Amino acid sequence: MPTVTMYTTPTCGYCRLAKVFFKENNVEFAEKDVTVDLAAREEMIAKSGQLGVPVIMVDDAVVIGFDKGKLSQLLGI
Amino acid sequence: MIYDLVIIGSGAAGLSAGLYAGRYRMKTLIIGKDFGGYTSIAGPIDNYPGAKSVDGFDLMQVMKEQAKEVGAETVDDAVTSIQREGGCFLVSFASGVTHQASTIIVGTGTEHKRLGLPNEIELTSKGVHYCVTCDGPLYGGKKIAVVGGGDASVKGVNLAAEYAEKVFMIVRGNKLRAEPINYERLLAMGDKIEVLYETEVKEIVGTSRFEKVVLSKPFNGSTDLAVDGLFIEVGAFPRTDLVVPLGVELDAKGYIKADPLMRTNIPGLFAAGDVMDLFSGFKQDITAACMGAVAATSAYEYYKVHGDLCKVHLKTTGE
Repeated sequence: MPTVTMYTTPTCGYCRLAKVFFKENNVEFAEKDVTVDLAAREEMIAKSGQLGVPVIMVDDAVVIGFDKGKLSQLLGI
Repeated sequence: MIYDLVIIGSGAAGLSAGLYAGRYRMKTLIIGKDFGGYTSIAGPIDNYPGAKSVDGFDLMQVMKEQAKEVGAETVDDAVTSIQREGGCFLVSFASGVTHQASTIIVGTGTEHKRLGLPNEIELTSKGVHYCVTCDGPLYGGKKIAVVGGGDASVKGVNLAAEYAEKVFMIVRGNKLRAEPINYERLLAMGDKIEVLYETEVKEIVGTSRFEKVVLSKPFNGSTDLAVDGLFIEVGAFPRTDLVVPLGVELDAKGYIKADPLMRTNIPGLFAAGDVMDLFSGFKQDITAACMGAVAATSAYEYYKVHGDLCKVHLKTTGE
């Protein structure tokens, strides 16, 4: 199973959609709140080149936003 | 698959329509690309009667559950085209599937407007944003500017001010068009929020990252306003591209034209929610939900009279 990390903010609706998607598909993921974790914020900017959330890492692949199609493909769902 | 009703859009209008259609025992499919529409990312909703200060996402989840409990099916997908043959609609999805529908409700909502300035697209998510509730918290302790003087803008500003050091509102008009309760909350923030009236953004400046805006008139002696983030909340336009090829009539502003029963000029095709402008710019979850319920009722009444047109179509085409 790929390693999944999601960079989020507390008020991000698309982040919630992604969490529902992961839960429905039994995908474990780590969550980093970039409003309080400034190192994670810099990490997210470095990896994605931008500030919008969610940013979802599936191993080394970067998914910006809740792109269900791309995530399904990367996770083999 | 043949459906009695396909509802395009899974916001308040579409989900409400699905609830009513399910109760009318119509075989119903609700298809939406962005679950919950703008409501799901709106943050706290305080003005939906019957639901005290509920998060928009949670409100949409309950609506979806209600619709599913009465038999409506839901799918996360996008409609790529709608065709009409012999009174039956053929609805094609991005996933490659095509379903037939005797009736359709279009609840596709709106798309946020851009300012249309150079650099705006290139700097999106690189300091330029369109959702204060989503991305405002990223600017904790920093300065941001929000363009727009409507209620959505004011709500966003109120949220952002909880995180940001300073929020500038850039407003084209000479007053804010917000619910008084939201305006009161803005005033309560004091000096943290500065409203620049009768001001527009003339330029968005930045190379790899947003740096500043150039204003239409000076503020504190300069037309340059350097902030860390720029949020654009200047309204929206209706998503009608799917129905224009069918010949659906639009009003002067480009919204779908329908009568008080949500009937368009295309028999069997109904509209609901923000893709219409039934209440002169007043667009709320409650109006969308009401329109969805009415549209479902009209679809049901139409279906009862005209029968299962898609099965008739299949018989006549010999499929």
